[in-house]
Amino acid sequence: MNVQFKKGVLELCVLVILCRKDFYGYELVQTISKNIDISEGTIYPLLRRLTREDYFNTYLKESEEGPPRKYYKMTEKGREYKKILLEEWNRFVDGVNNLIGEEEVA
Amino acid sequence: MTKEQFLLQLKKYLSGIAEVEKKEILYDYEEHFRIGLENRKTEEEIAESLGNPKILGKSFRIDAILGQVKEGSRAGAIWRAVFASLSLGFFNVSFILGPFAALAAVLIGLWAMAGALGLSGVAVILALILEPLFPEVIRLGGINIAFLIFASIGVSALGLLAAIGMVQLSKWFFLAAEKYIKFNLRIIKK
Repeated sequence: MNVQFKKGVLELCVLVILCRKDFYGYELVQTISKNIDISEGTIYPLLRRLTREDYFNTYLKESEEGPPRKYYKMTEKGREYKKILLEEWNRFVDGVNNLIGEEEVA
Repeated sequence: MTKEQFLLQLKKYLSGIAEVEKKEILYDYEEHFRIGLENRKTEEEIAESLGNPKILGKSFRIDAILGQVKEGSRAGAIWRAVFASLSLGFFNVSFILGPFAALAAVLIGLWAMAGALGLSGVAVILALILEPLFPEVIRLGGINIAFLIFASIGVSALGLLAAIGMVQLSKWFFLAAEKYIKFNLRIIKK
C-alpha cells in the first residue's frame, strides 16, 4: 500500500483506539499489527509526535510481570482532533465506495 | 538482529537529536523488547517485526527538526534546520542550500546598500566640518554649502528608509525560508 496513505490511516487508527482506553506501547502496537500489516516500530515515532502535539499524555504504571510500563492517555485536544479526522475519513470512504461500487477484483 | 544490535543501530541513526529525547526514544524500544520477551518472543522476532532502525531513526529526526523549526527562535532555528536537513542527506545541496544562499546574498547586498546610503550622508557632513582643518586632503571645490547639507540629509534619510524596508524584507525572507524548509521536510517525510 502507498506509504503516505498508510501513515495517515495509521494516525487515525491510533487516535480511535486510544479514545477507548489507555494503552501501553507494546499493547497498542500489537492491537494495530494484528489488523494491519506494518513495521511495528513506526508506531513509536507517531506516538511521540502526537504526544508532542498534546493529543496524548503519558504516565508510568506498575505491571504485575515486572517494571512499570509507559501508558498513553488521550487528552481533550486529542479527542477533538480524532473527531475531525474521523469525519474526513468517513467522507473519503463514502466517496471511494461511490466511485468503485461493487467492482470485482479481476 | 538481537536487541542489543537493534538499539545500537537505532541510536546511531538518532544522531543530532537532543540527548534527553534520544534516551526517551530508546527507552520506548527497550520496553517494547522487554514486554515482547515476556510474551515469549525471541529478540530476533521482535527486531524483525519492528522494522529497519535506519528508517525509524530518520522518522524521529525529521519530526525533531520540524518541532525545532516550529518552536525555536526564528533565525537561529532556520539555520539549524537548514544544516540539520543537509546532514540528513535528504537534499541535494543545490536544491536547498543553493536558493537559500543566493537569497541570503541578495539580502546582505541590499543591507550593505542601505548602510552605504546612510554613511555617505554622514561623510558629506564630516567633509564639510573637516575641510577647513585639512584643506590639503579634502576639497569640496566650493560647492554650495546649503546644497551639501540638504543633499547629505536627503541621502541619509534615504538610507534610513532603506534600512526600515530591509527589516521588513528580512522578516519575509525568514518566514519564506521557514515555509520552504517545512515544505521540503513534509515531502521527504511521506
